[in-house]
Amino acid sequence: MTRTEDVPHYLVEHIRARVAEEAHELGVQVDVREGKVYLRGRVMSSERRRDVEEAARAAAHGHPVCNEVSVVSSREPDEGEQERLS
Amino acid sequence: MIRVAAVGDIHVGADTAGRYRRHVTGLAGHADVLLVAGDLTRHGTVEEGRVAVEELKDAPVPVIAVLGNHDHHSDAQDEIAAMLRDAGIIVLEGDGAIVDCDGVRLGVAGGKGFGGGFPGRSAGEFGERVMKEFVRETRSFSERLRQALTEVNEAGADVTIALTHYSPIKETLAGEPLEIYPFLGSYLMAEAIDEAGADLAVHGHAHLGSEKGVTSAGTRVRNVALPVLGQAYAVYCLEPAATRA
Ligand SMILES: [Fe+2]
Ligand SMILES: [Fe+2]
Repeated sequence: MTRTEDVPHYLVEHIRARVAEEAHELGVQVDVREGKVYLRGRVMSSERRRDVEEAARAAAHGHPVCNEVSVVSSREPDEGEQERLS
Repeated sequence: MIRVAAVGDIHVGADTAGRYRRHVTGLAGHADVLLVAGDLTRHGTVEEGRVAVEELKDAPVPVIAVLGNHDHHSDAQDEIAAMLRDAGIIVLEGDGAIVDCDGVRLGVAGGKGFGGGFPGRSAGEFGERVMKEFVRETRSFSERLRQALTEVNEAGADVTIALTHYSPIKETLAGEPLEIYPFLGSYLMAEAIDEAGADLAVHGHAHLGSEKGVTSAGTRVRNVALPVLGQAYAVYCLEPAATRA
């Protein structure tokens, strides 16, 4: 019998499922390398970045979690950033 | 010339209430219309729908929106759409609308859309009932999209835009894992857009995708998901009847 949380591929999916269910973020990329869990992606606020980490930790079975998720900027574009389509 | 502000995937919730609003009220003088490409909420609850309405309702320009998969999550999509409409926002669900933007007649047709994949790698209407239903959902939406685009074109729109949540092409998905492309969009929508004719297609949904792409027949496509843009919205300037053959 195998403890699936010790198999990186299964652990990744357990963490992704938990992040989707509890933090409601579907686009977070989860990787496990050398027993360490890496989170990457873009979320709308620092609170949500924290929620993602919390959910990931809860499913990480003690593996260290490295939160590399970034927060999307919502600055307004200036005139020069308009795109002309012709 | 018409200036089209567009954004998708604002994913509002109680925790971000009021944050997007200032961008919307600040549109005056910068854009003539605002297109919202779905995923207005995180879980599609009525409460979040109310937050979305508050963010969008005081726009100084017409707002045209479609819902996204997240807005369907709590089965309250009809209520959310009704709330948005009550606030004066046009919500498209497989239909079209024409708005007057400073003398330019802008036709927008669209809806949420759905997945299925892209040429050579797309799902077929075969096998189990749920599989067939999945493909039929996209097929029937694409047919309505084609009709709605044709209608706004025939009604004399000067500029026509297709607005969906799911992507009509794969180029604007670049950055997403290949394995999930079939859940991000379908070429059936691109075929409908190309067949009916549009100046631009705007979508969201693919948070890790890329902003710019083009359909096989040359219709420009823009993925305006907020995380892709990295700014509050994009602005596209279109000349009336400039790009349509
Ligand atoms: Fe989204
Ligand atoms: Fe989505």
